Amino acid sequence: MRISASQLLFATLLFLVLGSACRRDEYLIYDVDPIGVTGLNTGKNKLKTNSQYISILYANLFQKALSANQLVEINNLIESIGDKQLAHEIIVSNLMNRNDVRIPSMQEMRADVDGFINETYKRFLVREPTESERSWFRNFIQTNTFVSPEIVYLSFALCDEYQFY
Amino acid sequence: MNRRNFIKKLGTATAAAMVLPYILPTGRLFAATGSQLAPHVVFVMFAGGVRQQESVLQRYLADSQQFSSEGNIMSNMLNGAAPALKVAYGTDPGVGPRGSIPIPPILGQTLQSQGLLFPELRATTAGHYSGYNTLLTGNTGTTQGLRQKPIYPTIFEYLRRHAGTPASKVWFVGNTIGNSLPLLNYSDHADYGVAYGANFLAPNLTFGSSGITHLSNAKVYHPEEEMAPMLQMKYFLNNSYNSGGGVILPNIGNTDAEKQEIKDFVRDTFSKVQTNQVAFPPINDNGDLRNVGFACEVIRRFRPTLTVVNLSSVDGCHSNFTGYLRSLHRADHAVGYLWNFIQTQVPDMAGETVILVSPEHGRNLNPNPILDENDWAAYDHSDANSLRTFSLMAGKGVPSNLIRGSEANPLGSSMDHVLTMAEILGIKSQVQMSGLLAPGTQSLFDRI
Repeated sequence: MRISASQLLFATLLFLVLGSACRRDEYLIYDVDPIGVTGLNTGKNKLKTNSQYISILYANLFQKALSANQLVEINNLIESIGDKQLAHEIIVSNLMNRNDVRIPSMQEMRADVDGFINETYKRFLVREPTESERSWFRNFIQTNTFVSPEIVYLSFALCDEYQFY
Repeated sequence: MNRRNFIKKLGTATAAAMVLPYILPTGRLFAATGSQLAPHVVFVMFAGGVRQQESVLQRYLADSQQFSSEGNIMSNMLNGAAPALKVAYGTDPGVGPRGSIPIPPILGQTLQSQGLLFPELRATTAGHYSGYNTLLTGNTGTTQGLRQKPIYPTIFEYLRRHAGTPASKVWFVGNTIGNSLPLLNYSDHADYGVAYGANFLAPNLTFGSSGITHLSNAKVYHPEEEMAPMLQMKYFLNNSYNSGGGVILPNIGNTDAEKQEIKDFVRDTFSKVQTNQVAFPPINDNGDLRNVGFACEVIRRFRPTLTVVNLSSVDGCHSNFTGYLRSLHRADHAVGYLWNFIQTQVPDMAGETVILVSPEHGRNLNPNPILDENDWAAYDHSDANSLRTFSLMAGKGVPSNLIRGSEANPLGSSMDHVLTMAEILGIKSQVQMSGLLAPGTQSLFDRI
């Protein structure tokens, strides 16, 4: 069989085209690198002493330090009540009754609910809220029109996370 | 319904009916099975260190100051005539020697006549805090550290765990926050602990001047419009913290309703303090007497299953023997007033209560060199005489006018009180089976 030059050229080109088109498979693996994930609050595992609790609470509510005499007095009063959470509730509700407690107004809170939530988390829990926490609080404050900033502060001052550092 | 389904459903319903009634609100599966002598116990820790010689032996100054004057200065608790000479333990007259007017007895019949006296009991220790531990745990306080929670479970925990008693029905009313007293409302024991603790209150402090400053002006929140959303937000925050790996907060387990009741009690008591309406005894010139007045308010409000009241003014005996005699006489006045209050002012508990009274330990045989205003020598607590003490109980189910043991024949131990209270409250077998009492500990009823 006689092969013409043009046929030979076509066969050569075909071989080159097909040969370059066929490449070895590259096995790519798409995965997620293992990264240690922790909750925002897992570092808080040391219980505040009564003195720490009352000092921090006072600073959070009044934006100033508690005097040493008052610290000793309130510390002793907490000692005098066995249920510490109950003692904290009584102390906080007394502090809330003072005129100089620094709490945003109802209008300020409702004008910028997200800002209020962020600030409250940072003030009491020293962290940003997660998106789900922000969403829950936004929804709760917006649907319960009588919820005041004071009540929100009260819940933060008495929650478990606030008792730890 | 076919026969097979009917039998299956019947079986399930029967099993549920057998199990469910025994799941108590506190999570306990089975109700206490022991028979109860009385539904209420009041235990007065007649503490501070009481010398046998001036108490049950009624030797007044004869065995302490080498002066021949004998007699009973505990006229509510013990039978016996008062001293005739050198009376210095009473109240002050307008004119005349200090303390020369004895406080009239409150009870028409002494607790000794009404009940059971163990006049010569043995304490296990001569230290206050270890003595308290012994009275409340039924075990020796010998390895108990100061400023450390009790090693062994307290009677509060036994009661709450084995009888399913709510927290607001178990109270420990202390006269101070000193001497590690606030640590005694629950132990560190792994099987018991904070979840079964008692409500502690040191009312002289809570309702004192600093309490009026910092606690009496609590804001009253509207239960539905303010407290309910506050609790909702708090629960959300707690769930968020706990689901993120947070630590469980130690909690004695007052429910929200119980907490509210206690807050109401605190508010009402402040009102009573400010209007002089607290149920103080007729003479209330020391901390013990005021403490008993507040204990009466707790009893009237909560009608506790178990109330422990601590007194300790007699410990002034380290430096002032006259003050010690005055305090001992007043401690007796406090006990008489407390028992009378229960019988006359708390209808639910009258005739349904047992009272126990016992010091945590005694005091030394020989004095230290300190002399007081009357040149009387003072006494510490460290020798064998300090281990001599007594126990007195009266009330429902307690034999009357009975004495067991004597100076020559000591009977009973200060550790016996836990099992005695357990027997009264119907949890004796559970406490025994815990295996956490000291060997040889018995109920005082078993020593009769």
